[in-house]
Amino acid sequence: MQIELYKTLKNLLETATYIRDIKGEDFFGINSLINKISEVYDNFYQYEPSYLEDFVKKTKEQLDILLEQGEKTLTPYEIVKITRHPQRFTLQDILENVYDSYMELGGEGEINIDPAIVCAKAMLVRKVGDEIFFHQVMVIGHEKGHGEEFREGGSAKPWGNEKALRYMKMAETEGIPIHFFIFTPGAYPIEDYPGAAQQIAKNLYYMAKLRVPTISFISEGGSGGAEAIGLADMRLMAEKGYYSVISPEGAAAIEAKISDGRPPRELVEKCAKALKLTAKDNLKFGNIDRIVPEPLLGARRKDYEFFKRLKIELIRATDEVILQTRSIKFLRKYAASKQETENFKYYVNWDLDEDEIEILIENRYKKYRKMTQWAIHENKTLFKSFFDLGHNLSVKFKNEINYKILKQGQKTFKKFLNELTSESTLLLKPVSDPIKTVYNLIVGKKTGPKLLTPSLQDDDIPTYISPLGLEDKTITCPQAEKYGCPDLWVPDLYGEFCGVCPNCGYHFPLEYKWYLNNIFDRNSIRTFNDEIASTNPLEFEGYAEKLKAARKKTGLNSGLISFEAKIGGISLIAIMLIAEFRQGTVGVAEGEKFIRAIELAKLTRRPFLALVHTTGGIRIHEGTLGVVQMPRCTMAVKDYVDEGGLYIVVYDNNSYAGPVASFLGAAPYQFALKSTRLGFAGPRVIRETTGQDVPPDYHSAENALKRGHIQGIWDRRELRKKLFTALLTMGGKNLYYRW
Amino acid sequence: MKEKILIANRGEIALRIMEACEDLGVDYVVVYTKEDEESLHVRYAKEKYRICDYRDMNDLLAVADESGCTAVHPGYGFLSENFRFARRVVKRSRPLIFIGPSWEAIRDLGNKLFMKKLAKDLGIPVIPGTTEPVYNEIEAELKEEELLEELGSLGVQKPSLLVKAVAGGGGMGIEEVKSLEELRPTFRKIRAYAKRLFGDEGVIIEGKIPVFQHLEVQLLGSKHGEYVHFGTRNCTIQSPYKQKRIEIAPGFSYQETYSFDPKKVEEEIINYSIKLAKAFNYDSVGTWEWLVTPDGKFYLMEVNTRIQVENEISAKISFIENKQVNLIKEQIRVAFGEKLGYSQKDIEFKGTSIEYRLIAEDTKKGFIPLSGTITQISWPELPWLTMRTHVPQDKPYAIPTQFDPNLALAIVYGETFEETKKRGLTLLDQIIIQGITSDGKELKTNISFLKEKTEFLYKFLEA
Repeated sequence: MQIELYKTLKNLLETATYIRDIKGEDFFGINSLINKISEVYDNFYQYEPSYLEDFVKKTKEQLDILLEQGEKTLTPYEIVKITRHPQRFTLQDILENVYDSYMELGGEGEINIDPAIVCAKAMLVRKVGDEIFFHQVMVIGHEKGHGEEFREGGSAKPWGNEKALRYMKMAETEGIPIHFFIFTPGAYPIEDYPGAAQQIAKNLYYMAKLRVPTISFISEGGSGGAEAIGLADMRLMAEKGYYSVISPEGAAAIEAKISDGRPPRELVEKCAKALKLTAKDNLKFGNIDRIVPEPLLGARRKDYEFFKRLKIELIRATDEVILQTRSIKFLRKYAASKQETENFKYYVNWDLDEDEIEILIENRYKKYRKMTQWAIHENKTLFKSFFDLGHNLSVKFKNEINYKILKQGQKTFKKFLNELTSESTLLLKPVSDPIKTVYNLIVGKKTGPKLLTPSLQDDDIPTYISPLGLEDKTITCPQAEKYGCPDLWVPDLYGEFCGVCPNCGYHFPLEYKWYLNNIFDRNSIRTFNDEIASTNPLEFEGYAEKLKAARKKTGLNSGLISFEAKIGGISLIAIMLIAEFRQGTVGVAEGEKFIRAIELAKLTRRPFLALVHTTGGIRIHEGTLGVVQMPRCTMAVKDYVDEGGLYIVVYDNNSYAGPVASFLGAAPYQFALKSTRLGFAGPRVIRETTGQDVPPDYHSAENALKRGHIQGIWDRRELRKKLFTALLTMGGKNLYYRW
Repeated sequence: MKEKILIANRGEIALRIMEACEDLGVDYVVVYTKEDEESLHVRYAKEKYRICDYRDMNDLLAVADESGCTAVHPGYGFLSENFRFARRVVKRSRPLIFIGPSWEAIRDLGNKLFMKKLAKDLGIPVIPGTTEPVYNEIEAELKEEELLEELGSLGVQKPSLLVKAVAGGGGMGIEEVKSLEELRPTFRKIRAYAKRLFGDEGVIIEGKIPVFQHLEVQLLGSKHGEYVHFGTRNCTIQSPYKQKRIEIAPGFSYQETYSFDPKKVEEEIINYSIKLAKAFNYDSVGTWEWLVTPDGKFYLMEVNTRIQVENEISAKISFIENKQVNLIKEQIRVAFGEKLGYSQKDIEFKGTSIEYRLIAEDTKKGFIPLSGTITQISWPELPWLTMRTHVPQDKPYAIPTQFDPNLALAIVYGETFEETKKRGLTLLDQIIIQGITSDGKELKTNISFLKEKTEFLYKFLEA
C-alpha cells in the first residue's frame, strides 16, 4: 500500500514538473507545489500514512485543475514544447503499446546506422466478434528516445532516411501497408553522402508511387525532415502535435535577421502563433486528414488510453485507404458503422490486387493535387475560366489524338518499313547501284546524304543588354589575387562575357532576365499562368506588405515563372525560380504553377526544364501550405518522368532547402553552374544543429558533384549549347521529337 | 581642340607613330613597361608613363585620362585587333578616338568564319571549306567528302584538307588530313585541343592549297566614304611557322612570266578587297590577304584590321605628287575625320621595295627566338635604305623575352626588282648585329636565312 502511494506520488511529481515545463514557472504557483511534493516525496517515510493518503488525493485534485486550466490557455508555442518534452510518448512507446508484437529492423538502440530512425516489422491484431485477425505492417519513424543523446532528438541523418527508404521498398515487395511516425524537429542538415536534401528528394520521389497503402502520424512535424517519411495516403496528426515549415525559433531568427545567438522569446512565441502549426489549423487547411485526440496537455508515455485510441485510429485509417480502392458502397457502410471501440465490426483484407494498386496510386495523386489549391489567388472572370477549361480540354484532346493514336500508328509502320527496306537493300543493291552511277554521270554531282540533326545557330540569340552593364566602370574579380585576373570592364563583363571572368572563370551573379534572353531562341518565350498569385493564407503579419513590395519590384505575381520556349528549334516547357521575388522561395502559387507546367509538358510531350536562379527554400510565411508543395510537386515530377519525358534542372547562385530536397532534387538530370551553392541548410543552421562550423566551400558545385548530387558543372557561357546537346541526347522515348 | 595621342605600343612601331605625330604636329604620350626602359621609344619621348602590361586596358586608359589624351593608337599586335578595346575606347564615359577601324569592323572581319561567310555572300572567292563551325564527327565526314570532290573538280592533284580550330591562328590548332580515314581522329584531336586552349570546340575544315603566293592588298578608307589602295605586297617567304620574314612590293613582278595575266589578277583582288571594305564602311588602313595559285586562281584568306609591320614597303612605292606617302600619317589623319585630299588616280606606283625582318633566332633549330644582349648593331648609311629599330646603337640592349622578337626592319628601295634585290643582298652583307646569349655564347641572327631566301622572291612556293 505504501509502495503504491510512493509510486503515485512520484507520478504526481512528474506531472507537476511537466506542467511547469510546459506552462512556465509562474503558472498558478506551480513552483511552490512542486517544492511541497518534492519535500513529501523526499521524506516519504517520516509522514503518517493517513496524511500521505490525504496529501496525494488533494494534490491530485489540484493537479487536475491545473491540467484543465493549462489546457484552456494552451498556446501554440506550448504545444511545440509538449512535443519536445522528454516525457512525451515516443515511437518505442507506440511499438510497445499499440502494436501487438514487433521486431526492429536495421539496428536497435545505439547499434544502428541511424538511431534517430526506427524501422520495425509489426503485427496488429483485430478482433471482430470472437474472431481474431492478424495484420502485418511496416513501421517506420523517428525515435526521440525520451532525451537519449544518441537519438539526436529524432533528426534523421541522410543515411537514416536512406534506411527508411530501404524498408519502404521491402514493405512494397511484401505488399504490406506502411505506418509512418513523424517525431522530428527536422532532418540533420549535413551534406555527407547521400546528402540530406538528396535523400529526402529520393524518398519523396519513391513514395509518390509506392505500391502499398501508407499512413502517417505526425507528432512533431519539422519541415523537410517530416516530409522524408510523410507522403502518405492518409495523414493523422496528434492533437498536441505540430506540423510546420520551420521551428518557431528558426522563423524568429529569420524574421529578426539574426545570424547568431537566440532570438527574443516574445518573437518566438509570436512566430509560433503566426506559423499556424497546430493540428487544428492544419486540418482546417487540409494538410492532414484527421486529428487523434490526446489527454489534457498532451499524451505522455503512460497514457495507455491514448495508445488504445491510436491503435483504433491506425487500423481505421488503413481500412479506409484500402476501401477507397474498392467499391464505394462498402466504404459507406464501413463509415456508417462508426468504429470507436476495440471490437471491430468488419474485417478488411489489407492485400491489394493490381487494379487496386493502380487506383491507390491514382487516389494519392489526386489527393495531393487538390491540396492547398484553395489558397491560390487566380484573377479570372467566369468567362475566362470557362474558356480555359475548354482550351485545356481541346489541347488534351489534340495531343492524345496526335501522340497516342496517330504517331503510335506511324511509329509501328515506320518500324515495319525499316525492317523491310534494310533487308531488301541487300537484294536490290546490284540493281540500284548501276542506276545510281548513271544518274551521277548525267547530273554530274553525287547527291550527298542530308544530315538530319538540328544544329544551333548562334545568331538566333537576341542582343540583350543587362542593366548591370550600363556603367562605365571596372570591377575586380574576387579571385584576382589568386589568379592575377585583370580588372573587368563592366559592359564587357555583363555583355559578352556572360558575367564570367574570362581569366579564371569566376561567375558573377546575373539578373534572371539575362537567362531568359540568352538561352532561348529569339522571341520564342511565351509565359503562361502569370495570373496565379501568392496570397497570405496564414494571415502572417507583415507578409502581405512583403508580397506587395516584391510584386512591385518585379512586376510578377509569384516567384516562379512558367513558359514555353525553344532552344535550337526544339520546343520545351520551362520554369524559373527567381531571386528577385522573395529569394525564389516556394509557396502555394509557385507549387501550383510548377505542377501545371509539368503537367502541360507531359500532355504535349515536351522536355521540361527547371532553371533555378536562386531558391531560399519553402516560404516560411505560408507555413505548412508551403511544405506540402514538396510532396505535391515531387509527385508531378515522378508522373512526368515515368511517362518518358526529360526533366532537367539547372542550378545557379544559391539553392537550398525544401525545393532542393523535393521536386528539384528528384530530377534525374541535375546540373549546376560554376557559381552555384547547393545544399540542404545554410551554414548558420548547420552550426546551430550540429555545433560545428562548415568550411566555406561546403556547398560549392564541386563538392555537390563529388557527393553525387549533380551530374555535371556547366559554364554559364556554354549554357545554351549544353542545354541543346542535353535536349538531343537525354530523356525518355516519349518526347515529341523522338520519333 | 588640340589632339593628343596615346601610343599604346612599343618598339619600332611606337617610334614610327611618334615620328608621324611630330610631322603632323600632334602631341603624344608613350607608355612602357619595366623591361622596355632601355628602348628608344622611351628615350625619345617627352611624356611617358610606366605601366604593367601593354595589354592592360585599365592601365592604358588611366594614362590616357591622366595625360588628357584624345585618341589612342594601338599600333600592331597587343590590343590592335581587340574589338573590346576599340569598343571600350569609344563607348566609355570619356570617349577617345580609336585610330583604326570601327570596333564592329574589327570584330566581324577579325572573325575569320564570319568574314568568310560574308565574303561568300558578296561573291568574293574564298578557300573552299565550311563557313560554320562543325561540332560533330558525322557532319565533319560529310563535309570532307564534299570538299575533296570540290577540290578535285578545281583541278587540285592529290587534294588534302586542313582541320582548324575556329579560335586558333598563327599555325596553332591546324592539322592536315589526306584521306577519309584520318579525319575522325584528327577532328577529335583538334576539337579537344581547341576546347582546352581556346575554350571553344568549334572546328572548321578547309581545302589545302598546295602551291601558292601570298599577296596582300593595302587599303585606306576615310570617314567620308573615300577608298584608295596602295598596291599589293608579296609575303610568300615565311618561317616554317607561317611568320613573315621577307616582304616585297609590288605583289607581282612584271618581268617574271606567269601562266596568267598578273595585272588582271592584281586588279581583281584589289577590286574584291574594296568591295568587302565598302560593305563595312571600313575607315582606316587595312590589309586584305590573298592566296594566288600558279594557274591564277585566288582566294581571300583573312583581313588585318590594323597597320601592318610591312606597311612601309607599300608606302615606298606609292607616290603622290612625286612624294612618298606615310601610311601611319594617313591613318591618323583619317581617324581625326580629315578627307584624303587625293584620289586613286593621283597615286603613282614606282619602283620595288623589300623589307627584311632582322631577328635573333636560330634558323637551324626550329626558329626559336633567342634571348640575350645586343652589343653592337650597325649598318651603312645608304640613300636607298631605311632602318627601323628601337634597339639603341650606343649601349648594350637586353632583348626582352616576352615580346615579338623583331630587332630591326631593313627597308630597301630600288627602281627595278633586280636592282632592289642586289641592294638587299649588299645590305645583308654589310649589316652587323652582334651580341651574346645569357650563357655567354655568340647570339645567332637570321641574316643568312634572309640572304638564302632572297633568291625565292616572286616564286610560287609549296606550303
